[in-house]
Amino acid sequence: MLAHVNVGGNLPSVEKVISQERINRWAELSGDFNLLHVDPAYAAKTPFKGTIAHGPMSLAFLNELMMKCFETDWLNGGILADVRFVSPIRPGDRITVKGFITAISNRHDRHYAECELFVEKQDGTKAVIGRGISPMRISG
Amino acid sequence: MEKPELVFSDLGVGKKFRTLTYPVTMDLVRTFIEVVGDDNPLYEKGLRDGAIAPPGLAAIYARLSYLQDHVMPAGGVLAKQEFEFAAPIRVGDTLTVNAEVVESYVDEKARKRVTQLIHARNQRREVVTTIRLSVIWPK
Repeated sequence: MLAHVNVGGNLPSVEKVISQERINRWAELSGDFNLLHVDPAYAAKTPFKGTIAHGPMSLAFLNELMMKCFETDWLNGGILADVRFVSPIRPGDRITVKGFITAISNRHDRHYAECELFVEKQDGTKAVIGRGISPMRISG
Repeated sequence: MEKPELVFSDLGVGKKFRTLTYPVTMDLVRTFIEVVGDDNPLYEKGLRDGAIAPPGLAAIYARLSYLQDHVMPAGGVLAKQEFEFAAPIRVGDTLTVNAEVVESYVDEKARKRVTQLIHARNQRREVVTTIRLSVIWPK
């Protein structure tokens, strides 16, 4: 849970290393065996020139970050919106899932934190962008 | 027998897919936590019935809800997505997931655009997740 919630404040980041093994395991978990993800020889002949991670895996990472920050509040009215995949994530990439608070609002007697979210690769390229809007408890 | 591809001509507005039944088992949650590497203690490592399940599962059951009887043709692009979480899902819950096409058109650049509205309900028929997926369909 976030100790301090301020507009402009950074969310704690989450780091991951993406391996082909992790991608293969996601394929088994999700049932998505698209060759672009799991067959390096096939993927090498596509415009991507190699396998790439499944997009929904990044959604899991964004959810991980929001759960870390807002715990069960995220599950009781949280919205993950405008998610776009802007650059592929490949085996060997080291990614950081991060974000910051853009606004704090009040609707129907509930406080909400609005956040910009990113998955960033080791060279600073953004791979995924989106917005998270979470209800939150304000203590005191 | 191989499943047929799900193509744009199958996806008119109002098209509904058969209900997906998705049991949130301990095995599923444990595997998810391990693959994602999410060590949030709220999930209790999926080791207990009634423990909270990770919300990231939504991306999996959303996709399965329209691909039970078909495969996705290669080259689709997820254009926009929105997930709204209404209530926690717990280990041991059984979800029923329904997908419906709510938008289907060819845009000015001749791209085939399809938006699906997906509702996941728990065994008490409470909506736990609402998902809106907009996809540029490949063929």
